[in-house]
Amino acid sequence: MITFDHVTKRYPDGTVALDDFTLDCATGEITVFVGTSGGGKTTALRTINRMVDPTSGRVLIDGQDVRDKSPAELRRGIGYVIQQVGLFPHRTIRDNIATVPYLLGWDKKKARETAMELMARVGLPTSMAKRYPFQLSGGQQQRVGVARALAADPPVMLMDEPFSAVDPVVRAELQQEFLRLQAELHKTIVFVTHDVDEAIRLGDHIAVFRTGGTLVQHATPAELLARPADDFVASFIGRDRGIRLLSFHNADGIELHDAAVVAGSADRSAARAALAGVSGEPWLLVVDDARRPIGWLSQDALDSVPETAELRDAGLLPIGNTFTVGVDPLRSALDSSVLSPSGRAVGVDADGAVLGIATQADLATAIRTVAAGDLHPHPLDRAPDEPAEPAGDA
Amino acid sequence: MEWQWLPGHLDDLAAATVQHLQLSLLPVLLGLIISLPLGIVSVRWRWTYPPIFGVANLLYAVPSIALFVFMSQYVTGLSVASAIIPLALFTLSVLVPNVVDGLKQVPDPVRQAATAVGFGTLRRLMQVELPIAVPVIVAGVRVATVASISLGSVAGIMGLGGLGQLFQDGQQRDIPSEVFAGIVLTIVLAFVCDLILVVVQRALTPWTRARKGAAA
Repeated sequence: MITFDHVTKRYPDGTVALDDFTLDCATGEITVFVGTSGGGKTTALRTINRMVDPTSGRVLIDGQDVRDKSPAELRRGIGYVIQQVGLFPHRTIRDNIATVPYLLGWDKKKARETAMELMARVGLPTSMAKRYPFQLSGGQQQRVGVARALAADPPVMLMDEPFSAVDPVVRAELQQEFLRLQAELHKTIVFVTHDVDEAIRLGDHIAVFRTGGTLVQHATPAELLARPADDFVASFIGRDRGIRLLSFHNADGIELHDAAVVAGSADRSAARAALAGVSGEPWLLVVDDARRPIGWLSQDALDSVPETAELRDAGLLPIGNTFTVGVDPLRSALDSSVLSPSGRAVGVDADGAVLGIATQADLATAIRTVAAGDLHPHPLDRAPDEPAEPAGDA
Repeated sequence: MEWQWLPGHLDDLAAATVQHLQLSLLPVLLGLIISLPLGIVSVRWRWTYPPIFGVANLLYAVPSIALFVFMSQYVTGLSVASAIIPLALFTLSVLVPNVVDGLKQVPDPVRQAATAVGFGTLRRLMQVELPIAVPVIVAGVRVATVASISLGSVAGIMGLGGLGQLFQDGQQRDIPSEVFAGIVLTIVLAFVCDLILVVVQRALTPWTRARKGAAA
């Protein structure tokens, strides 16, 4: 655990970069520092590896004051990744990654083997080992940056806007792989970003900073979306807070119906029979032999289907997106509903076989349940105009 | 021009060339040894750069002949040292700024990353900053080398050895081909030394070459 204990950083000119900052960053979790520029998030990050020494207060790693070790020794035990990557241009990719092992005096062969393993781990072809940084793309360079930080297997990683300088497609890719890596490695990570979406996507906990170096809120992403501490946090999080919150609730609670699901090999009369079984249902979902969805068929269109034709040939409307029950969040179910010509969401299992259909009324019920639990936990205890309680340190 | 002087004096030409190499290249080596710490100090403590560079530059303003005469008359006598010491001082005006520029153009994120992974100051200098400064430093060494080979002739005219002797001797005894041989040898020497430095730099800094195509 990384502990900030009343840490303040004041510069000689009087600027306060960090103001009485107290926080615990849990072991094995990603804590994201997010906020406006000048909010002190990078300063806070740098007090951990003593790139910045606080004016007052202490920073502890697992209870030990970071000042107990020499800066160089401390830093060799802490991975560090920055936005501009900062690879050593005169060293090959392999030697860049092996930097810390070399500094720690590892055997050269072992250091290089470790570097090669890490290249594979961060998704770089090992054929690049002897290339130089300038021969790599921005995304590849940042993978090397991450590998270099991981080389000596430090328990703590500091990442300062590591994915901000690459294009959105590469960024999404790097973020995804970063989460995959973290699921294997369980490092204690402090991650600085100005991008609140990135914070919500990556963080186990998020600390929001405001200009002047003050911590405004420390919460899980879902808590942050549901109950921002104040207007600053709410406006910082931005639009569609409610919709984004649905990403943090699974879609398992949605009621699914499968009466209007018919096989592609069935004919018109079978379809009519299915529709008769569900009163008021104007849409049929046609599936293949493995129950994977093929398309939608409306009741009106059914009349023009030839008597003997199979339904699969009946000019079906496309499905759009489905959602995987037990995996995808409520937001995916909502997305599926919005994109569907029938306005209904299709729930599938891991193999893509249809489990059932949810109407918008079913989704609304599930969303109301979330809102009741998260947003308005005690609606009866509170007057309507009373603001939500700020979430404290969680 | 009378060419028959040349075949009989190849030994003299070779000896003069070797001596010229010594009196012009040793100063560059000495100059580099002095410039590296001066440059490092200038970058580490910025306020020291103006006085350091100022002195190095002023030294260059001293006429070379005056310095050679002064050294051979009053300090080191009629020896190569009287050529080497002034020439070494002259290289500083090129080498010090190049060491400084070389170190300054190390990208800040690289320096920051080096610090953050746990390089100490000295280790960072030796293993990160100086290697990255090599291309700029070598560029300075190339200029200093060619200048030193050229100025070295002046030392020879003052009787301190090297190819410059050929000019003096050729003029006094009216042997134009000897003067001509001196000029050609000086140029060839400068060219060859420069070429060697280019090759050395390419060997030292494979990472500066744009060889994306070759490596892909």
